Amino acid sequence: MNRIFLDVHALQTVPPSNLNRDDTGAPKTAVYGGVPRARVSSQAWKRAIRTCFRDEHLLDPAELGVRTKKIVELLADRIAGLDPSTEREDALRLADETVKAAGFKTEVPKRKADQAKKDGGPAPAPESKYLVFLSSRQLDGLARLALEGAADITAFLKTKENKARARELADTRHSVDIALFGRMVADVADINVDAAVQVAHALSVHRVDNESDYYTAVDDENTDEETGAGMIGTVDFNSATLYRYAALGVHQLAANLGEGLRDDEPRTEPVRRAVEAFVHAFVDSLPTGKINTFGHHTEPDAVVVKLRTTRPISCVAAFEDPVRSDGGGHLREAADRLAAYASDVERAYGNPETTLTWVLRVGPATQKLADLGTEAGTLGELTAAVGRAVAERLEKKPA
Amino acid sequence: MSVLALRLAGPLQSWGASSRFTRRTTESAPTKSGVIGLLAAAAGIERGDDGALAPLAALRFGVRIDQPGTRIRDFHTAHHGVTGASMPLSERYYLADAVFVAAVEGDRTLLTSLDDALRSPVYPPYLGRRSCPPAGPVDLGLYEDAGLEDVLRNVPWQASAWYRRRHWTVPRTLTVLRETTADEPAVTADVLRDQPVSFDAAHRRHAPRTVLTDPVPTPMPAGGGGPCDAHDPFAALDALAALDILEG
Repeated sequence: MNRIFLDVHALQTVPPSNLNRDDTGAPKTAVYGGVPRARVSSQAWKRAIRTCFRDEHLLDPAELGVRTKKIVELLADRIAGLDPSTEREDALRLADETVKAAGFKTEVPKRKADQAKKDGGPAPAPESKYLVFLSSRQLDGLARLALEGAADITAFLKTKENKARARELADTRHSVDIALFGRMVADVADINVDAAVQVAHALSVHRVDNESDYYTAVDDENTDEETGAGMIGTVDFNSATLYRYAALGVHQLAANLGEGLRDDEPRTEPVRRAVEAFVHAFVDSLPTGKINTFGHHTEPDAVVVKLRTTRPISCVAAFEDPVRSDGGGHLREAADRLAAYASDVERAYGNPETTLTWVLRVGPATQKLADLGTEAGTLGELTAAVGRAVAERLEKKPA
Repeated sequence: MSVLALRLAGPLQSWGASSRFTRRTTESAPTKSGVIGLLAAAAGIERGDDGALAPLAALRFGVRIDQPGTRIRDFHTAHHGVTGASMPLSERYYLADAVFVAAVEGDRTLLTSLDDALRSPVYPPYLGRRSCPPAGPVDLGLYEDAGLEDVLRNVPWQASAWYRRRHWTVPRTLTVLRETTADEPAVTADVLRDQPVSFDAAHRRHAPRTVLTDPVPTPMPAGGGGPCDAHDPFAALDALAALDILEG
């Protein structure tokens, strides 16, 4: 098997902020190298990446998926879109039968049904029991299938052949975000998709103790006699230089994406686009926790991308011994350590003949990283170079 | 018999043996299902392929706690994709700062192929949860004509440099959790439900497994080779020992 992995490493400094909170409202932390560190969970950053796909228009909406329980209503909308003469009630029934034939269990949510009865409103549409993640392409396919059998949907979907078609439609041409981050459907095992990407929790390269900001807010309408604050409170925060890491199984992504979304393009095209979008969004995304309080809009100071045939390797161990800020700031030492560790670990365990490395960096503090690989001038250049190399590797026959 | 040893280290690990719902706990050491799953993933065995999994699941398994780590709790929220409504909150537990040596014992050909798979995996390894990639490579060597107990007794202590510095009296023993041999009475053993039977997403199944807890004398690094030996955390200790500050 042709194995291709993409390692993405980033150093990113965030000023006082609270990107990802725990249940007490404090920024998440972990212990590493025996000292407390700032942590941003992988789930939080993956969500930021998915949002970035949409907000930055990195991918066509048709390539993205939607994650919802309201799958029946969503499909009914598509059916009505294809055939506007369909009554709402019929569309919902067609959609429900088709969703069930595809393998998802649905039910009318009891509380909403009770409420509707009390208010005398229309009965609510059935919902799936779990969050279902379907691509636009898959929804369109299912909508067309539903309309094909509109005359007698129950009998139509009872045949083995049509039932199999429904399942296949839900299990091919996955959206890019499903192919990257996976899909778990607890009761339809055969259309689970294993994620092609591992995103590690971001960890600060140095010791971090959370701080607490005590604030008072003045009531603008207070008279001079009312001298007290309108309210008081605290906000927990920290600032950190984070090491961020993700490993992408490109061969796995290719398998998840299948033949691609359009027939008029090379087979490697969807993978190339997905990889470019992922690298762009990984670098450019930022969890938005308390962003209006702290305005922590930063970009990574340095990004290192490696395309390789051997196992992915995280460089987090470079920071197990926490960076100290004796020289002012943590970035320079973090960049020096990453440069040294990455080349050390590569020499010991990598394959220099098949590994390509790119570097995108800002400022003199990250200078040492320049020697690791080809420097890219902009994020656009970086993603384009990585995308091109991925497409070339995929086209090559396995050795 | 041959033995394949793995070094499982990273900022976070999480080895669940019983939790599938909103409270996801971790055991104190890697589970057999977790480690066999890691090997099966590296070899590209698909989730439903119970036939291909069986020879891996039949390997005898043991793990040594080189650096126990600390438990941390992660509070996890999720929101509905469309309405934004809150989904059930969940708590996930992780082991932070832990280092383990895991070992599997069995047929040499199989272990050689698994060793190769770790160097060039189909699905990359993770430490119990996908968001926990290992720090550095996990393969620690294939020992031919060796037994599980011997390897876990002799592989040099893998604790991190900072940990060795901080615990400057070296622990006398490390805890080994291992499967019994066929002819060993299991009277004092624990039972853990982590013997993988099927990783099929529809009906993941695990059988009970007996686990013996043995202390082994801490094997000191002999110098040379291995990801940990670049540091020499004992140089300072030797100097102190020479001054008679340290005892035994």
